[in-house]
Amino acid sequence: MDGGLTSMHTAPSQAISDPAPLLPKRPSRRRQTFRKIRASAAKHIVLIALSAVFALPIVWMVLTSFKTAPQALAQPVVWWPHPFLASNYPQLFAALPFFRFFWNTFLYAGITIVGVCISSSLVAYGFSRLRWPGRDAVFYLMLTTLILPFVCTLIPLFILYKHLNWIGSYLPLEVPTFLGSSVFSTFLLRQFFMTIPQSLSDAARIDGASEFFIYRRIVLPLAKPAMATVILFQFIYCWNDFLGPLIYISNQSSYPLSLGLNLILGDYTTNWAWVMAGATAATAPIVILFFLTQRTFIQGIALTGTKG
Amino acid sequence: MKKWRQTRLGLLFISPWAIGFAVFYLYPFFATLYYSFTRFTGVGNPVYAGFSNYTELFHDATFRTALFNTFYYTIIEVPLSTAAALGLALLLNMNVRGQAFYRTLFYIPSIVPVVASSLIFVWIFQPSFGIVNSLLSDIHVEGPAWFFSIAWSKPTFILLGLWGLGQPMVIYLAALQGVPKEMYEVAALEGAGPWQRLRKITIPMISPVILFNVVLSLVLSIQYFTQAQVIEAPPGSPGNSTMFFVIYYYQQAFEDLHLGYASAMAFMLFILVLIITVLLLKSSSRWVYYENEER
Repeated sequence: MDGGLTSMHTAPSQAISDPAPLLPKRPSRRRQTFRKIRASAAKHIVLIALSAVFALPIVWMVLTSFKTAPQALAQPVVWWPHPFLASNYPQLFAALPFFRFFWNTFLYAGITIVGVCISSSLVAYGFSRLRWPGRDAVFYLMLTTLILPFVCTLIPLFILYKHLNWIGSYLPLEVPTFLGSSVFSTFLLRQFFMTIPQSLSDAARIDGASEFFIYRRIVLPLAKPAMATVILFQFIYCWNDFLGPLIYISNQSSYPLSLGLNLILGDYTTNWAWVMAGATAATAPIVILFFLTQRTFIQGIALTGTKG
Repeated sequence: MKKWRQTRLGLLFISPWAIGFAVFYLYPFFATLYYSFTRFTGVGNPVYAGFSNYTELFHDATFRTALFNTFYYTIIEVPLSTAAALGLALLLNMNVRGQAFYRTLFYIPSIVPVVASSLIFVWIFQPSFGIVNSLLSDIHVEGPAWFFSIAWSKPTFILLGLWGLGQPMVIYLAALQGVPKEMYEVAALEGAGPWQRLRKITIPMISPVILFNVVLSLVLSIQYFTQAQVIEAPPGSPGNSTMFFVIYYYQQAFEDLHLGYASAMAFMLFILVLIITVLLLKSSSRWVYYENEER
């Protein structure tokens, strides 16, 4: 039995190097080519169908954002906006302080990026470039905080921040990043620092360089790609963060994008074109950023995910 | 001498984290545990109340519903998205033409901001005007009310979760590309079929990555919150069918100011996550393969 499925699965080995000459009972070349085409067609049909399903929500979001409010609700559905209305965007931006939301988000991201870059790189250095008893045990302790549910620390922290008068500001979200709160970044940088040859540090030490000098002048410059990943991920984290601001930010003028976007759903559910214009405005920058930094992105994900 | 110097320096370098760990993890964790034995509204001092919060929890029907909803979501979403992400990664790894294009396409939904993707899903699954029900009615199927139906609300959240499987897919794809090609060549020479190659080579070789991802996605889905909070009005509706654990926690802590009660919930969640993680890691020795113990 050579069902379509079997031939589909033979593809990887053929792609690697053709083992066919050594296999017994080799099918005729023509039949093999036919099977290859059939397998590749099957794969592409599956992939194209799935692509359509995955793309539909985004396509529909963008199309809706250019429609008039009644057209968005039209039944049967109108696929292409007619007229093609760009004015939803300026109208939405006039109705809600969107530029303010963007600015607040950038500020939040910018400050925490500084915090993460400084603290995570220092901590990662201590966990990778220096040898001390108990180092790896402490490192694993740090990793276990990854699985600690945030609700287990939330209430006492909220009370602490209230005493410090930080509620309503971004301080509860920013200060911890200066104290190594981004375990993911520390982990990623540590994995990267481990790959830098120890002999570089040793040579510098013989020349009398201080450890901070080695960190600052030797290791950090070599770790630029990993730092780029950390910056990118932190930016996306802040852009996405809903829960943090929801808990600590109450004043609408301090809202980040995530909370501002949530506002449209409550206020303008009658105008779906506006809601989708807001969603598109929040998504577009991230997608553009993704295309500009695709390599850093994909490598970074692979690095955090696979080197466990 | 040198050893002592390195130890001192090591501790100095990790000190930002050590301070952060004490202030943002250690202290609040034990404070939560303490509050869970008290009545506390945030003003004045907590009043010791013994185990009353815990006994109340056991009799709280909403809490049981929240537990059930959270398990429902986790038990279906995590295996489904793991299998789907792995399947897609395997498919893309088969040397398909346009691999980079497909990879990008499947990945993009996972970077759409959470609030935006929630809005998108409310809109496409809108019962009377949404595109999904329109398409369904084209083939003469009457679509349900999705997020606004007690029976369908959780499955719709699962669909939203599946839409974001690009992240694990990229991780699995990277792991698959790291499996030495010679292994497949040898296996092919020995006459191993595709199914055997998958079972005996591919899965064992990437099993540490699978474990890592499964643990993280379990822990995250047990804390499911943002999408449910954004989409449902009021959160938890319809009929408590989307009352997830953290949604209920949030209401208890920040709306009703039952801080002691909420702390008891938080501690229960901790125990739960601990049990699940330990069970998974224990079972992992049977299905996770480490090439060499040290890396």
